[in-house]
Amino acid sequence: MNKWFKSGKPYIWLTAGAVSVSLIAVLGLLALIAWRGLSFFWPAQIHEVEVQANDGSTRVIIGEVYDREQVPIERLQESGVKLDGFDGDTLERQLFKVGNREFVPLDFMWVMEPQIIRDETPADLGVLERSKDGNFYGYVVDVREQGESVVNDRDIRDVLFERIERAVELNEKATDLQQGEIGAINHELNRLRLEARALDLEGKFTEAEKQRITAQEQALNEQYRELEKQLFTFREQASRDSVVMRDMRGMEVSIPLYRVLDATFPNDMGILSKVGHFFVQIGKFVSEDPREANTEGGVFPAIFGTVFMVLLMSVIVTPFGVVAAVYLHEYAGKNAITRLIRIAVINLAGVPSIVYGVFGLGFFVYMVGGSLDQIFYPEALPSPTFGTPGVMWSAITLAILTLPVVIVSTEEGLSRIPSTLREGSLALGATKAETLWRIILPMASPAIMTGLILAVARAAGEVAPLMLVGVVKSAPMLPVDGNFPYFHLDRKFMHLGFHIYDVGFQSPNVEAARPLVYATSFLLVTVIVGLNLTAIGVRNHLREKYRSLEH
Amino acid sequence: MISVTPSTSNVESLDLANLTPEQTALEIRNLNLHYGDAQALYDISMNIPKNRVTAFIGPSGCGKSTLLRCINRMNDLVEICRVSGEIRLHDKNIYEKDVDAAALRRRVGMVFQRPNPFPKSIYENVVYGMRLQGVNDRRTLDEVVERSLKGAALWEEVKDRLNESAFGLSGGQQQRLVIARAIAIEPEVLLLDEPTSALDPISTLTIEELITELKEQFTVVIVTHNMQQAARVSDQTAFMYMGKLIEYADTNTLFTTPEQKQTEDYITGRYG
Repeated sequence: MNKWFKSGKPYIWLTAGAVSVSLIAVLGLLALIAWRGLSFFWPAQIHEVEVQANDGSTRVIIGEVYDREQVPIERLQESGVKLDGFDGDTLERQLFKVGNREFVPLDFMWVMEPQIIRDETPADLGVLERSKDGNFYGYVVDVREQGESVVNDRDIRDVLFERIERAVELNEKATDLQQGEIGAINHELNRLRLEARALDLEGKFTEAEKQRITAQEQALNEQYRELEKQLFTFREQASRDSVVMRDMRGMEVSIPLYRVLDATFPNDMGILSKVGHFFVQIGKFVSEDPREANTEGGVFPAIFGTVFMVLLMSVIVTPFGVVAAVYLHEYAGKNAITRLIRIAVINLAGVPSIVYGVFGLGFFVYMVGGSLDQIFYPEALPSPTFGTPGVMWSAITLAILTLPVVIVSTEEGLSRIPSTLREGSLALGATKAETLWRIILPMASPAIMTGLILAVARAAGEVAPLMLVGVVKSAPMLPVDGNFPYFHLDRKFMHLGFHIYDVGFQSPNVEAARPLVYATSFLLVTVIVGLNLTAIGVRNHLREKYRSLEH
Repeated sequence: MISVTPSTSNVESLDLANLTPEQTALEIRNLNLHYGDAQALYDISMNIPKNRVTAFIGPSGCGKSTLLRCINRMNDLVEICRVSGEIRLHDKNIYEKDVDAAALRRRVGMVFQRPNPFPKSIYENVVYGMRLQGVNDRRTLDEVVERSLKGAALWEEVKDRLNESAFGLSGGQQQRLVIARAIAIEPEVLLLDEPTSALDPISTLTIEELITELKEQFTVVIVTHNMQQAARVSDQTAFMYMGKLIEYADTNTLFTTPEQKQTEDYITGRYG
């Protein structure tokens, strides 16, 4: 035994064990959130079950089996549920997602497994994905155009799909119009209002100016009315059709098609069409705006916000960090003060992120932003432009948060460069600055990239400070759009990390939001991994270029 | 006694103590150097003649490299280093305040112990000094590359792969590339700090032959711990010991009839 210890084998096992545990933890985490998140997009079977209550009465439930759990009978009895004639300690109960939110009190229902006396999955059962009130489950009975049935002898599904496609197209046109041209007009009107105000403040608001601005405003209003008419036409056309569904109460309900986004019949789908549907749903998730207080729809603004903010932060932190590291390593005297500064910088990395958030809010948003507003945007006051949380302040706050990481790794990179190369450059008549610029910095670029990778990984996952300096639950506009100056750094933005918190803990409909939490988490990890892989790719390329100093 | 082949070069011997201005490349006058409190060089005075190869020999730590690095002010990089005395290049003391170290180093090039090519292509390595001076004309640079690489006896080996990384070259080739890089900016003096100590014997031989050719155009000062090498390539040799210049004479004279006991002990291998 003693010999075995001396041979060093136990340490191999110990170290390998530690690696394995970490690996299992990471892979387990990824597998869990991937499974929970992605299974949400798989088209689930729709069950029609008949449930018999204790008093013998029966009712029909239509919906997806959302969850199952084993419940101890004791607990059920204690909570007042009457159970007769069940053996065993536990029984299974199933959670059904029954949708149809406007007709039933709860769109999720628990059902005891033994009470189910009939369980079928009829091929005719369909689910409508709606822009309001969530899913609708039921049988398609009729498709109507202004109250008249248009099915005739055709297959009802074909008619339905046709009509949905038309309505979706019209809705899209309306949205495009609203966000594109009408948005631009609103932007322009606002700009004119501010221009008038600015002229007024400067005392240059002459009659001529007034007329010019009023004329422009009138022209814009004219255009606006024109577009509005068009918009209403689209909406009117979209609301022409409706679908009649029979729900689980056996009642026929008419649902206007302009609210329907998609119809699926999962019980009638082959594996291929299910896979297709799965990817379509994922595509919608990453490309669409959220609906229903973030509990439905996609997360595109959050993805965009996260990536945009992180890129903005990288653009800020890299030059600052590199310049600071260059001074510390190349120019600052090698004395106690430099060492003190270095220690301070390293310790900055240990400051809790919420502290940076408070600092960002107090210093950047209120002080810097408030001053900017007074100097450059007095016409917009009292409504703040930069004196309010926004994507720029978030990026700057996170840049300060991640600055130490970049400084430390850049310094390490600088100190790894052999002194012979510096001397070689100096001996050819280069000054120190020229040597830095032509030899040292290019060779330190892989290390700078490493710092940036760490910074991005940290920044993309940070939520707490952002809640103070710019993240919101729902941002009406992206920080980048087609209106001059295209990048609106003063706007608030959505962020995947905050989205997870919001959907998971602030949502009115917890059950509906749960899979979205997993899906969004998985997406956040994917986004961070994607950003990192890009940076690692760049770094490896640079490494290859400046390789082999080891001669 | 180890056998030392006397220099093959048949140059006339010079009166080293009294060189004419035309014969002089560098004059070192009463040079003292301190690292913090420790003195590394003691009152060194010597004349280095033009278009000749001068070798500094001596045991490790004798200050020969330090002296060499004084000539192009590489010691400026060491914060605790203080220099007093003069080194005159064209009758101008290079340690005077108004002398720009970078400009000085363009006139006094240096090659180091280990090959230190930059992580760039062979071509870019050679033209580095030219680009620093703002020369970017492609044709001029092409000419410089060809002339320098030929001057460093490397042209034939690399002319077809000028745009490949300099790291792909062997150690000996890299060292010749570094020499080519140094002569590309046409310095007056070329300092070689143990240029062959990291190389194999065949590469060493190539470099030694090259040094003999280089003195046609440049004044060469070489530090070496290899006495045979000093004897083979140099025209005059300085023997240093413990920071002092013990003896400075024609290579032939120094190796065959040294005046000082310490020199004789060293070249006969009794210590060092």
